[in-house]
Amino acid sequence: MNNLQQEKRGRRLGITYSAPMGIWLTLFFLIPLSIIILYSFLKKGLYGGVEWEFTLTAYKQMLNPNFMRVFWRTLWVATFATVITILLALPCGYAMARSRHQVFWLGMVIIPFWTNSLIRIYAWIAILSSEGFVNETLRTLGIIKESLPLIYNQGAVITVLIYMYIPFAILPLFTTIDKFDFQLLEAARDLGASKPESIVKVLMPNIRGGIVTAVIFTFIPIFGAYTVPLLVGGKDSYMIGNIIVDQVTKTRNWPLASAFSLIITLVSTLGVIWMMATAANESARRKTPVKVVDSSGGSE
Amino acid sequence: MERKPLLSVTLAIVLLVAALVFSTGCSKSESSAKNNHKTLYLYNWTYYTPESVIEKFEQEYDVKVVIDYFASNEDMFAKLKAGGSGYDIVFPSQDYTAIMMSEKMLLPIDKSKIPNLQYISPLVLQKATYDPDMAWSVPYYMGAAGIAVNKKKVAQYERNWSIFADKRLEGRMSMLDDMREVLGDALVHLGYSVNSTNAQELAQAKKLINEQWKPNLVKFDAEAFAKSFASGEFWVVQGYAESVFEELDSSRWKDVDFFLPPEGGPMYLDSMVIPKGAKNIDLAHQFIDFIHRPEIYAEFLDRFHFPASVHTEAAKYTTTKPFYNVEDLNNYELKNDLGADLEKYNDIWQSIRYVN
Repeated sequence: MNNLQQEKRGRRLGITYSAPMGIWLTLFFLIPLSIIILYSFLKKGLYGGVEWEFTLTAYKQMLNPNFMRVFWRTLWVATFATVITILLALPCGYAMARSRHQVFWLGMVIIPFWTNSLIRIYAWIAILSSEGFVNETLRTLGIIKESLPLIYNQGAVITVLIYMYIPFAILPLFTTIDKFDFQLLEAARDLGASKPESIVKVLMPNIRGGIVTAVIFTFIPIFGAYTVPLLVGGKDSYMIGNIIVDQVTKTRNWPLASAFSLIITLVSTLGVIWMMATAANESARRKTPVKVVDSSGGSE
Repeated sequence: MERKPLLSVTLAIVLLVAALVFSTGCSKSESSAKNNHKTLYLYNWTYYTPESVIEKFEQEYDVKVVIDYFASNEDMFAKLKAGGSGYDIVFPSQDYTAIMMSEKMLLPIDKSKIPNLQYISPLVLQKATYDPDMAWSVPYYMGAAGIAVNKKKVAQYERNWSIFADKRLEGRMSMLDDMREVLGDALVHLGYSVNSTNAQELAQAKKLINEQWKPNLVKFDAEAFAKSFASGEFWVVQGYAESVFEELDSSRWKDVDFFLPPEGGPMYLDSMVIPKGAKNIDLAHQFIDFIHRPEIYAEFLDRFHFPASVHTEAAKYTTTKPFYNVEDLNNYELKNDLGADLEKYNDIWQSIRYVN
């Protein structure tokens, strides 16, 4: 068999292998996304749905200062929660990677997923409310007299969001740290670096890919959060996800809901592009330049 | 690297267990659906269908009744509009009954098949201006949201909408996350109609809510307020009696004062309609007739402690005291569909909900 034939066969096989994924993405991602894009440029129907008339009304409505405020709030909450999540997840991932009981710790990270997320949010209500676990304990110990306002505010939203998404940050961090050659840390210390220095200068650059993945896995779902602000948030905790649901179910403005969904999709896409760019950078640093050209072909 | 197989074994077990749980769940519902030849499909609000009445209907007519639930008219409407069909009876509120009539989504009611329509209160039909002759819809229940107060925590309070302006209760009160309800309350409190589209009146209502009521509220909550009220977190909530009391053990009912503010407010009238695409039209008529049998309707009222607001005879058969009386609804007004004017309410509601 000559090279050309082999190459042809490989290409055919490649199509066969990628077909299921391609069909899946087309059916359940590209087509729905096209509908959302289309709807965002149409006129809203009086009772929901759309009328077939091109208009930019939805995007003009989106610039309303009330919506902008919710947008900035969403961005702020998502960024803040993501930073805290990563800072907490890094030592967790490190400890897990160095532990002799990895399966046990992995189990501990995964077990919360056995319980429905709504039930876990209601559990948080039971923990944080004025008559809840924390306040009752503090009262019994005589530390406080009046209940602390722990729930129905921005702090509660951020706390619960961190709790919900921290496993998504720990898992990618764990996998990258697990692959890291810890002898490098010893080498660094032999060469005179202090312990923190060796972590920042040797470990961190080597697990950059894991950190980026963790950031994206937490930031994107938090950016689109709906139930957490709805249930543990207060009167001023609305996020973009809540607006989208309101526009579909209450105010019957599907084009505006579509426009807002597009914003979330756009933010996610930018995140993924950033992730891919970091991955490409990394392989560029490690491998020969020739290989980098190869990797750009397999993006879809 | 011996860990990796262990990991995949764990994962495999997790998946297997999940698969088992799902498969048993499915087979159960399949086998029970096969038992009967005819099935009536209802689409009703949550907390709104009395189980005992459904069982009696199933026995008497030798059929099976399947009920799906919705949490808001908008959800229901969106599902039907998106092509959800196969329901024989749906239970929309007045505004959506009117919308569904004008959108030609309903089948006519054959009154000759429902003799018990004689018991429907003429007063209710007078208020149902969109369908006073029951050509397309038959009233199911008429009621209103009110205020529940935890008497253990709050001793003195005003029994009207201005309770939400009470500074002493700051951080312990919630109102529904529902613009027609909250704006309607404010409009009525100011002496206007719950269906007002007058810009000045709406601006006053917005001012009242933003300056007097909202600062004292923990949140606008239509999902979990009853749970928070039951746990003692919220002391005063605006909401539906059945949601509030459903969360409380009946031994605690004496500690709750539920009242409809006397100045009035928005009211709803839920009806039974037969949507186009219904397969069991005769059976649907039989069900509507069955529900309005006085002793059966009384059973429905007893189950939820409702007053006999749409039925003239059932009160004679009820055995429980309702959470509020029919007379309490005297000043209440049905929320009409506002059509394009809904946009005015949207704008105001956004300024209330989205801005700190």
